[in-house]
Amino acid sequence: MAETALAELNYKSKLKLALFPTIWCPGCGIGTIMMQLAMVLDEMAMDETNTIIVSGIGCTGRMGSYMQFESVYTLHGRTLPVAEAIKTVRPEMNVIVVAGDGDTASIGGNHLVHSIRRNVPVTVLCNNNEIYGLTGGQTGPTTPTGTKTLSSPSGNPNTPINLQGIVRSSPHALYAKSTVYHQTHLRNAIREAIEHPGFSFVDITSQCIENNGRRIGFANANEMLTYYRKGYKRAPKDADTLGPMEIGVLRPEAERVGNGAARPLVVEAAPAVETPRPKAAPVDDEEKARKRAESQQKLALMQKLSPETKVRVAKGEISLADALLEAGVEEGPA
Amino acid sequence: MRRLMQGNEAVFRGALAAGASYYAGYPISPSTEILNVASGWAAEHPEFGFLQAEDEIASANAVIGASLAGAKAFTATSGPGFSLMQEAVGYAQKVGVPSVFVNVQRVGPATGMPTMPGQGDIMQVRYGSTGDYTPLAFYPNSVAEAFSTTVLAFNAAEESRSPVVLLSDTFVGHLNEVVDPEELAAAATVAPRELAPLGRHEFGSPRFFAGVLMYEHGPNAGEPATADADEYLRQYYAAKHRHLEVANRYALYQHGWNVDAQTLVICYGIVSRVAAPLAPDYALFRPIRIHPMLGDELRAIAERYEHIVAIEANDGQYADMAELTLRREVKRVPLLGGRISMEALRAGLDRVLGGGPAEPPIPLAPTEAVERSPLGIG
Ligand SMILES: Cc1ncc(C[n+]2csc(CCOP(=O)(O)OP(=O)(O)O)c2C)c(N)n1
Ligand code: SF4
Ligand SMILES: [Mg+2]
Repeated sequence: MAETALAELNYKSKLKLALFPTIWCPGCGIGTIMMQLAMVLDEMAMDETNTIIVSGIGCTGRMGSYMQFESVYTLHGRTLPVAEAIKTVRPEMNVIVVAGDGDTASIGGNHLVHSIRRNVPVTVLCNNNEIYGLTGGQTGPTTPTGTKTLSSPSGNPNTPINLQGIVRSSPHALYAKSTVYHQTHLRNAIREAIEHPGFSFVDITSQCIENNGRRIGFANANEMLTYYRKGYKRAPKDADTLGPMEIGVLRPEAERVGNGAARPLVVEAAPAVETPRPKAAPVDDEEKARKRAESQQKLALMQKLSPETKVRVAKGEISLADALLEAGVEEGPA
Repeated sequence: MRRLMQGNEAVFRGALAAGASYYAGYPISPSTEILNVASGWAAEHPEFGFLQAEDEIASANAVIGASLAGAKAFTATSGPGFSLMQEAVGYAQKVGVPSVFVNVQRVGPATGMPTMPGQGDIMQVRYGSTGDYTPLAFYPNSVAEAFSTTVLAFNAAEESRSPVVLLSDTFVGHLNEVVDPEELAAAATVAPRELAPLGRHEFGSPRFFAGVLMYEHGPNAGEPATADADEYLRQYYAAKHRHLEVANRYALYQHGWNVDAQTLVICYGIVSRVAAPLAPDYALFRPIRIHPMLGDELRAIAERYEHIVAIEANDGQYADMAELTLRREVKRVPLLGGRISMEALRAGLDRVLGGGPAEPPIPLAPTEAVERSPLGIG
């Protein structure tokens, strides 16, 4: 589908148009990310019954409120634990995180590192505007060295955080870099990230004209987009890392054994263990969901029994089915 | 089958009986056994979600995510971890997330005395997060009660749609007592989940769960109401009234020992067990529901007594609440630094009933070496 004409896409059904105009400043890059995400979700036939949006706090975080999806607007920095738990409880759901650079990599940095370590199967769209937009333009974790901000009046003295390096510290994670100028590239990257079965991260350079761009010398959003157009180049298809001005998708290196320079799990043949515990059979997601529903239903049915009968069932003296029969209770929906 | 069970394990078993299917936590004494038992259970029951999180902030937020996704979810920690969870607790209060937060207390503040028992989080539970809210909290004093109170905490969480706190302490958590888990489970009545899980709602438009004020109903439903005091009042009082109404269903306390004595002793959790030898000479008021304060109940009982003394392993946290409620003096016996002994308790009672201060005589610093404590930093 890669190059489908925009006009043919029905992405607007994925947005709460009644709430427009949005709160974002004219010329802000966030709207482009939202539009591209809406297009991808539309193409993939995703809707509110199979997709959850988890957003952080910040200008970017407002995205969740404008999309026709069930959405959780989490505390600042806490998208990932919330998203991970949703995915655990509802593995059949597609969970997408949208958050700013400050939310993702500063206050939420610890969660980011550990979600990557656990290869949490969610997709993060990080709106990397290199600034704390909502709070007025303070230095963020991805602000380039030397950039003047509200909180670094003589230029940011620090090196920006290496998001690529952090994400790529796991052999299972997908890292994509794009910009809001390169819309088709961005859309394809988002789609690929959502389709990736493990942790995926789309690092999206975008303009905060109001609280960053103007301060660093851009007259308007268009100048910033022109800068992205001229500055960013597509990395070669087989690239293994992206340079600072390259966009591309880095797929996981499946051949690596563990995280980073991890050592292999099994060292030497261990002496035979007397009674090996049976290894729990791998359960797929649907099986999990089914089991959960079953145990909830069982619990609800138990509630219909008298305390004495419950004890007998709990002790295995009588089966639940027999107990229900005996009590004359229908097994129907609990 | 009757068997020995630890208080912490009873909390986990109670949670299962209440229908819990998700646990997230971070190890901290004296709550760690709950995490350990949960991980073992999850390994054998893949439908039970388990997360050993990177910190308590993640645990608390994971519990929120799991609950919104449809699971009855809980976490367990101690005072320091509970401090880290406070922002999430406030968020869960605002959004209305049914969930259970277990706090097995130790001596604080900060890392405190990790292996020693304390009850210093009574006020943290009440006021720890930002803004106004009406938390529900319960505090059992035995293994069997830890089980049944956990079930009740889950039910209250569902009914009030709020994060309910189950308090415990080092001793209650580590107490081993004989119970019959099947019987306890069978006695449990389980409140159903009413909130539709994410993606399964039955209304016209998808929901937006936000920690900020949004219109919930009417023509503006789903839009921000962050500058509308009227909407704030509507939502704030609706939640408050709902919480208080649910709390009323669980006005649990014990009024016992020698009810005809002159002095009413207030104590809860492990202190109420240690204080049992006072039975012949004192009356007991043991709140099981710690928050909201058992106002009417305590007022009716307190009337009958000449003196009221709160004995607690903190510097008068419940006594402050009781004094405010009763508008009369509540004497205090603070059992601090983990010293919850009958000697300390009797000495304190004699002191305050004889007109002395709550503060015990402070021993001089030793001039000779004393037996060293293990450097407990858990
Ligand atoms: C615990 C907490 N600390 C601070 C804030 C204030 N705050 C709101 S948004 C924000 C930074 C936003 O920056 P970023 O995540 O990059 O998002 P952007 O606005 O740039 O999209 C901060 C510090 C908060 N809401 N919560
Ligand atoms: S402050 Fe910046 S990031 Fe926020 S809406 Fe305005 S332009 Fe966008
Ligand atoms: Mg930003």
